[in-house]
Amino acid sequence: MEKKQSELCLEILTRFHNAGILDNFILIGSWCVYFYKDYFSNVPYIDQATLKTRDLDFLINDPSKIRNKVDIPELLKDLGFVTIFNRSKGYIKLDHPNLILEFLVPEKGKSINKPYPLPKLGLNATPLRFLNFLSSNTIKIRMKGFYLTLPHPANFALHKLIIFQRRLKKEKAIKDRNVAIEILKILINKGESSIIKNVFNSIPQKWQKKIREGLKESEDREILEVLK
Amino acid sequence: MRGVIKGVLAEELENSLRMKKEYDEVLGKLPKGCISIKKIKGHEYYYLVKREGKKVKHIYRGKISGKEKKKYEEAKILRAKYRQLLSQVKKQIRFLRSSLRGKEAI
Repeated sequence: MEKKQSELCLEILTRFHNAGILDNFILIGSWCVYFYKDYFSNVPYIDQATLKTRDLDFLINDPSKIRNKVDIPELLKDLGFVTIFNRSKGYIKLDHPNLILEFLVPEKGKSINKPYPLPKLGLNATPLRFLNFLSSNTIKIRMKGFYLTLPHPANFALHKLIIFQRRLKKEKAIKDRNVAIEILKILINKGESSIIKNVFNSIPQKWQKKIREGLKESEDREILEVLK
Repeated sequence: MRGVIKGVLAEELENSLRMKKEYDEVLGKLPKGCISIKKIKGHEYYYLVKREGKKVKHIYRGKISGKEKKKYEEAKILRAKYRQLLSQVKKQIRFLRSSLRGKEAI
């Protein structure tokens, strides 16, 4: 399934690129870990070490910048994707046995708990807190004929350390924390401790406190040293 | 508490069960049967071929528009695709259920 998943993922990215919308998206979530292998090509890195789910999440940082009108459900229909509509909350997802596509936007201001409409893309997005932190520092990974935007691994990991404490499911929280620690350790190994430190210093003190608290539970001294 | 792996598998099972329901629904919504063209004495005659119970029925449709013809052609392709994916989902459900049966917290 792993190979089928990666092939399908690449096909989706290629179609988004050809339709001229990929540049509006930042890939977030557990699939980032898979694509970070290029960024970490000079240090030991095993993307399989982290559990990757079927969720392929795209962050749209600024929906008003989308210029092309592309009906995404129609674009992916022949691949077998079906559009699901959450009856109670109204969120739209695209389901396939190998991947589940979801679109997210940063939640600004008062929480409204309603989907954000994306009429140009023929779907809607889920607004979530703290996503600005992921889009504030990104990297570009070279793919076959195009570039894919991902959050910088430092932002990805520190973001996970903030949100894992808000998770309702304990096992998901542990998974998030473990991924974050793995990525931070690899960054330190790559000699990018200063980047972690800079990103950490750029965030509000309340968040910094949350991150430290999250790390204390795992007693990871190496990372705590960097964040001192 | 379940282990991390079991937590992920349980979530994936929920997703697969949802998908099974969805694929059943979309398959039910597709137009039934497919269009068959018979050539008799140089003339083309369109029939809708569909299964009714154990019987396969050929229903004469007269001349049909290109749009309708395309609709049935697309439905045929999608039906095959959805059936293949539904079978994949069913396999996933069996695998995930058996993986979650063990008592160990992994």
